[in-house]
Amino acid sequence: MKKLFPVHHVMGYVFSLVLSVVALSVILWDMSLAVGMTILIICAAIQMGVQLFMFMHIGETGTKTSLYTNIAYALFVGLVTVFGTLFTMIWGYQ
Amino acid sequence: MKLDNSLPLEYRSEENSNRIFGFWLFLGAEIVLFSTLFAVYFTLWNRTGNGPTGKELFEIGPVLIETFVLLTSSFTIGLMINSMRQGLQKAAMVFLFVTLVLGLIFLGVEIFEFVTYVNEGATISTSAFMSSLFVLLGTHGAHVTLGLLWGAGIMLQIKREGFTLDTANKSFIFSLYWHFLDVVWIFIFSFVYLKGMM
Repeated sequence: MKKLFPVHHVMGYVFSLVLSVVALSVILWDMSLAVGMTILIICAAIQMGVQLFMFMHIGETGTKTSLYTNIAYALFVGLVTVFGTLFTMIWGYQ
Repeated sequence: MKLDNSLPLEYRSEENSNRIFGFWLFLGAEIVLFSTLFAVYFTLWNRTGNGPTGKELFEIGPVLIETFVLLTSSFTIGLMINSMRQGLQKAAMVFLFVTLVLGLIFLGVEIFEFVTYVNEGATISTSAFMSSLFVLLGTHGAHVTLGLLWGAGIMLQIKREGFTLDTANKSFIFSLYWHFLDVVWIFIFSFVYLKGMM
Protein backbone atom coordinates (compact mmCIF):
# COMPACT_ATOMS: atom_id res chain seq x y z
CA MET A 1 0.00 0.00 0.00
CA LYS A 2 2.78 2.39 0.93
CA LYS A 3 4.41 1.67 -2.40
CA LEU A 4 1.29 2.60 -4.34
CA PHE A 5 0.14 5.44 -2.08
CA PRO A 6 3.24 7.29 -0.84
CA VAL A 7 2.61 9.45 2.20
CA HIS A 8 3.50 12.80 0.64
CA HIS A 9 1.09 12.25 -2.27
CA VAL A 10 -1.77 11.35 0.07
CA MET A 11 -0.91 14.35 2.25
CA GLY A 12 -0.92 16.63 -0.81
CA TYR A 13 -4.32 15.29 -1.86
CA VAL A 14 -5.87 15.68 1.61
CA PHE A 15 -4.33 19.13 1.88
CA SER A 16 -5.84 20.24 -1.44
CA LEU A 17 -9.28 18.94 -0.39
CA VAL A 18 -9.02 20.83 2.92
CA LEU A 19 -8.03 24.02 1.07
CA SER A 20 -11.08 23.67 -1.22
CA VAL A 21 -13.34 23.40 1.83
CA VAL A 22 -11.68 26.45 3.40
CA ALA A 23 -12.27 28.38 0.14
CA LEU A 24 -15.89 27.22 0.26
CA SER A 25 -16.33 29.11 3.55
CA VAL A 26 -16.63 32.39 1.61
CA ILE A 27 -20.11 31.42 0.41
CA LEU A 28 -21.19 29.75 3.66
CA TRP A 29 -20.75 32.80 5.86
CA ASP A 30 -21.38 36.46 5.23
CA MET A 31 -18.14 38.33 4.91
CA SER A 32 -16.85 41.44 3.22
CA LEU A 33 -15.48 41.23 -0.31
CA ALA A 34 -11.97 42.05 0.92
CA VAL A 35 -11.92 39.22 3.48
CA GLY A 36 -13.46 36.75 1.02
CA MET A 37 -11.00 37.62 -1.75
CA THR A 38 -8.08 37.32 0.66
CA ILE A 39 -9.18 33.80 1.64
CA LEU A 40 -9.68 32.81 -2.01
CA ILE A 41 -6.32 34.21 -3.17
CA ILE A 42 -4.38 32.57 -0.34
CA CYS A 43 -6.09 29.18 -0.82
CA ALA A 44 -5.60 29.23 -4.61
CA ALA A 45 -1.93 30.19 -4.28
CA ILE A 46 -1.25 27.37 -1.80
CA GLN A 47 -3.15 24.89 -3.98
CA MET A 48 -0.99 25.88 -6.93
CA GLY A 49 2.10 25.31 -4.77
CA VAL A 50 0.85 21.84 -3.75
CA GLN A 51 0.43 20.85 -7.40
CA LEU A 52 3.74 22.35 -8.54
CA PHE A 53 5.98 21.04 -5.78
CA MET A 54 4.30 17.87 -4.51
CA PHE A 55 2.79 16.49 -7.72
CA MET A 56 4.67 18.02 -10.64
CA HIS A 57 8.09 17.69 -8.94
CA ILE A 58 9.23 21.00 -10.40
CA GLY A 59 12.43 21.03 -8.33
CA GLU A 60 13.67 17.47 -8.92
CA THR A 61 16.20 17.81 -11.75
CA GLY A 62 19.20 19.89 -12.77
CA THR A 63 17.06 22.22 -14.87
CA LYS A 64 15.17 23.50 -11.84
CA THR A 65 16.58 27.04 -11.90
CA SER A 66 15.46 27.42 -15.52
CA LEU A 67 12.05 25.95 -14.70
CA TYR A 68 11.53 28.29 -11.75
CA THR A 69 12.59 31.24 -13.93
CA ASN A 70 10.23 30.18 -16.71
CA ILE A 71 7.22 29.68 -14.44
CA ALA A 72 7.95 32.87 -12.47
CA TYR A 73 8.18 34.83 -15.72
CA ALA A 74 4.93 33.30 -17.03
CA LEU A 75 3.18 34.17 -13.75
CA PHE A 76 4.58 37.69 -13.95
CA VAL A 77 3.26 38.19 -17.50
CA GLY A 78 -0.07 36.64 -16.46
CA LEU A 79 -0.47 38.88 -13.41
CA VAL A 80 0.48 41.99 -15.40
CA THR A 81 -2.12 40.98 -18.00
CA VAL A 82 -4.87 40.48 -15.40
CA PHE A 83 -4.14 43.50 -13.20
CA GLY A 84 -3.15 45.73 -16.13
CA THR A 85 -6.50 44.94 -17.75
CA LEU A 86 -8.39 45.59 -14.51
CA PHE A 87 -6.48 48.85 -14.06
CA THR A 88 -7.16 50.19 -17.54
CA MET A 89 -10.70 48.84 -17.98
CA ILE A 90 -12.27 49.04 -14.49
CA TRP A 91 -10.36 50.73 -11.68
CA GLY A 92 -9.10 53.60 -13.85
CA TYR A 93 -12.67 54.87 -14.30
CA GLN A 94 -13.71 54.92 -10.66
CA MET B 1 22.65 7.36 -26.95
CA LYS B 2 24.06 8.56 -23.63
CA LEU B 3 21.93 7.35 -20.76
CA ASP B 4 22.17 8.55 -17.18
CA ASN B 5 20.86 5.64 -15.16
CA SER B 6 20.70 7.63 -11.94
CA LEU B 7 17.64 9.44 -13.34
CA PRO B 8 14.08 8.11 -13.62
CA LEU B 9 13.32 6.51 -17.00
CA GLU B 10 11.42 9.52 -18.34
CA TYR B 11 14.49 11.78 -17.93
CA ARG B 12 17.17 9.28 -18.85
CA SER B 13 18.18 10.36 -22.36
CA GLU B 14 19.07 13.93 -23.22
CA GLU B 15 16.18 14.05 -25.68
CA ASN B 16 13.80 12.99 -22.91
CA SER B 17 14.98 15.70 -20.51
CA ASN B 18 14.74 18.28 -23.27
CA ARG B 19 11.18 17.22 -24.09
CA ILE B 20 10.14 17.65 -20.46
CA PHE B 21 11.86 21.01 -20.33
CA GLY B 22 10.14 22.07 -23.55
CA PHE B 23 6.78 21.06 -22.14
CA TRP B 24 7.36 23.30 -19.13
CA LEU B 25 7.96 26.18 -21.56
CA PHE B 26 4.64 25.33 -23.21
CA LEU B 27 2.93 25.37 -19.81
CA GLY B 28 4.36 28.87 -19.28
CA ALA B 29 2.59 29.96 -22.46
CA GLU B 30 -0.60 28.24 -21.25
CA ILE B 31 -0.44 30.24 -18.00
CA VAL B 32 -0.41 33.42 -20.09
CA LEU B 33 -3.26 32.17 -22.31
CA PHE B 34 -5.52 31.50 -19.34
CA SER B 35 -4.49 34.81 -17.74
CA THR B 36 -5.83 36.69 -20.78
CA LEU B 37 -9.13 34.80 -20.54
CA PHE B 38 -9.38 35.53 -16.80
CA ALA B 39 -8.62 39.19 -17.53
CA VAL B 40 -11.52 39.27 -20.01
CA TYR B 41 -13.85 37.58 -17.51
CA PHE B 42 -12.88 39.91 -14.63
CA THR B 43 -13.54 42.89 -16.89
CA LEU B 44 -16.96 41.72 -18.08
CA TRP B 45 -18.36 39.67 -15.18
CA ASN B 46 -20.93 42.30 -14.16
CA ARG B 47 -21.96 43.25 -17.72
CA THR B 48 -24.96 40.96 -17.60
CA GLY B 49 -27.38 43.00 -19.73
CA ASN B 50 -30.78 41.32 -19.76
CA GLY B 51 -29.25 37.93 -18.91
CA PRO B 52 -28.74 36.30 -15.52
CA THR B 53 -25.99 37.32 -13.10
CA GLY B 54 -23.46 34.83 -11.80
CA LYS B 55 -25.27 34.68 -8.50
CA GLU B 56 -28.54 33.69 -10.21
CA LEU B 57 -26.90 31.25 -12.59
CA PHE B 58 -24.29 29.32 -10.60
CA GLU B 59 -25.19 26.27 -8.54
CA ILE B 60 -22.73 24.95 -6.02
CA GLY B 61 -23.63 21.22 -6.34
CA PRO B 62 -22.22 20.42 -9.80
CA VAL B 63 -19.26 22.74 -9.19
CA LEU B 64 -18.29 20.81 -6.04
CA ILE B 65 -18.55 17.52 -7.93
CA GLU B 66 -16.31 18.89 -10.70
CA THR B 67 -13.77 20.20 -8.19
CA PHE B 68 -13.67 16.97 -6.20
CA VAL B 69 -13.41 14.80 -9.32
CA LEU B 70 -10.63 16.88 -10.88
CA LEU B 71 -8.62 17.11 -7.64
CA THR B 72 -8.89 13.34 -7.28
CA SER B 73 -7.82 12.76 -10.88
CA SER B 74 -4.79 14.98 -10.31
CA PHE B 75 -3.97 12.77 -7.31
CA THR B 76 -4.35 9.53 -9.30
CA ILE B 77 -2.16 10.73 -12.20
CA GLY B 78 0.49 11.56 -9.59
CA LEU B 79 0.15 8.00 -8.26
CA MET B 80 0.50 6.69 -11.81
CA ILE B 81 3.91 8.37 -12.18
CA ASN B 82 4.89 7.07 -8.74
CA SER B 83 4.02 3.50 -9.80
CA MET B 84 5.75 3.94 -13.14
CA ARG B 85 8.98 4.93 -11.40
CA GLN B 86 8.86 1.70 -9.42
CA GLY B 87 8.25 -0.33 -12.57
CA LEU B 88 4.73 -1.32 -11.50
CA GLN B 89 3.16 -1.25 -14.93
CA LYS B 90 -0.17 -2.78 -14.01
CA ALA B 91 -0.78 -0.38 -11.13
CA ALA B 92 0.28 2.54 -13.33
CA MET B 93 -2.22 1.47 -16.00
CA VAL B 94 -5.00 1.25 -13.41
CA PHE B 95 -4.20 4.73 -12.08
CA LEU B 96 -4.10 6.17 -15.62
CA PHE B 97 -7.43 4.52 -16.39
CA VAL B 98 -9.01 5.91 -13.19
CA THR B 99 -7.65 9.36 -14.08
CA LEU B 100 -9.26 9.24 -17.51
CA VAL B 101 -12.59 8.01 -16.10
CA LEU B 102 -12.58 10.88 -13.59
CA GLY B 103 -11.75 13.28 -16.43
CA LEU B 104 -14.71 11.93 -18.36
CA ILE B 105 -17.01 12.44 -15.34
CA PHE B 106 -15.73 16.00 -15.02
CA LEU B 107 -16.45 16.66 -18.66
CA GLY B 108 -19.91 15.10 -18.40
CA VAL B 109 -20.85 17.34 -15.45
CA GLU B 110 -19.48 20.40 -17.26
CA ILE B 111 -21.46 19.64 -20.42
CA PHE B 112 -24.56 19.05 -18.28
CA GLU B 113 -23.99 22.48 -16.72
CA PHE B 114 -23.61 24.17 -20.10
CA VAL B 115 -26.85 22.55 -21.29
CA THR B 116 -28.59 23.75 -18.10
CA TYR B 117 -27.39 27.31 -18.70
CA VAL B 118 -28.59 27.26 -22.31
CA ASN B 119 -31.96 25.80 -21.28
CA GLU B 120 -32.33 28.64 -18.79
CA GLY B 121 -31.89 31.02 -21.71
CA ALA B 122 -28.31 31.98 -20.95
CA THR B 123 -26.37 31.30 -24.16
CA ILE B 124 -22.97 32.53 -25.30
CA SER B 125 -24.60 35.54 -27.02
CA THR B 126 -26.88 36.54 -24.10
CA SER B 127 -24.48 39.00 -22.50
CA ALA B 128 -20.81 39.95 -22.28
CA PHE B 129 -20.73 38.05 -18.96
CA MET B 130 -22.01 34.85 -20.59
CA SER B 131 -19.60 35.18 -23.55
CA SER B 132 -16.57 35.58 -21.31
CA LEU B 133 -17.77 32.78 -19.01
CA PHE B 134 -18.32 30.29 -21.85
CA VAL B 135 -14.98 31.16 -23.47
CA LEU B 136 -13.07 30.69 -20.20
CA LEU B 137 -14.83 27.47 -19.16
CA GLY B 138 -14.91 26.20 -22.75
CA THR B 139 -11.17 26.65 -23.22
CA HIS B 140 -10.53 24.70 -20.04
CA GLY B 141 -13.06 22.03 -21.07
CA ALA B 142 -11.45 21.76 -24.51
CA HIS B 143 -8.09 21.17 -22.82
CA VAL B 144 -9.62 18.39 -20.71
CA THR B 145 -11.17 16.83 -23.83
CA LEU B 146 -7.81 16.89 -25.61
CA GLY B 147 -6.20 15.43 -22.49
CA LEU B 148 -8.65 12.51 -22.50
CA LEU B 149 -7.80 11.63 -26.11
CA TRP B 150 -4.08 12.07 -25.46
CA GLY B 151 -4.20 9.97 -22.28
CA ALA B 152 -6.14 7.21 -24.02
CA GLY B 153 -3.51 7.16 -26.79
CA ILE B 154 -0.72 6.86 -24.24
CA MET B 155 -2.55 4.04 -22.47
CA LEU B 156 -2.73 2.04 -25.71
CA GLN B 157 0.97 2.63 -26.30
CA ILE B 158 1.95 1.49 -22.80
CA LYS B 159 -0.16 -1.62 -23.28
CA ARG B 160 1.66 -2.38 -26.53
CA GLU B 161 5.23 -1.45 -25.60
CA GLY B 162 5.42 -1.34 -21.79
CA PHE B 163 7.40 1.44 -20.15
CA THR B 164 10.23 2.42 -22.47
CA LEU B 165 12.25 5.65 -22.66
CA ASP B 166 9.57 6.88 -25.01
CA THR B 167 6.35 5.88 -23.25
CA ALA B 168 7.64 6.81 -19.78
CA ASN B 169 8.55 10.24 -21.14
CA LYS B 170 5.12 10.69 -22.73
CA SER B 171 3.36 9.57 -19.54
CA PHE B 172 5.32 12.03 -17.42
CA ILE B 173 4.61 14.91 -19.79
CA PHE B 174 0.92 13.97 -19.80
CA SER B 175 0.95 14.05 -15.98
CA LEU B 176 2.36 17.60 -16.06
CA TYR B 177 -0.45 18.64 -18.42
CA TRP B 178 -3.10 17.06 -16.23
CA HIS B 179 -1.82 18.70 -13.02
CA PHE B 180 -1.76 22.02 -14.87
CA LEU B 181 -5.44 21.66 -15.85
CA ASP B 182 -6.22 21.04 -12.19
CA VAL B 183 -4.44 24.28 -11.23
CA VAL B 184 -6.47 26.21 -13.82
CA TRP B 185 -9.66 24.66 -12.46
CA ILE B 186 -8.77 25.75 -8.90
CA PHE B 187 -8.63 29.32 -10.18
CA ILE B 188 -11.96 28.94 -12.01
CA PHE B 189 -13.52 27.36 -8.91
CA SER B 190 -12.26 30.20 -6.67
CA PHE B 191 -12.54 33.31 -8.81
CA VAL B 192 -15.46 32.47 -11.09
CA TYR B 193 -17.80 30.28 -9.05
CA LEU B 194 -17.09 31.04 -5.38
CA LYS B 195 -16.50 34.75 -5.97
CA GLY B 196 -19.62 34.83 -8.18
CA MET B 197 -21.75 33.29 -5.43
CA MET B 198 -20.36 35.47 -2.63
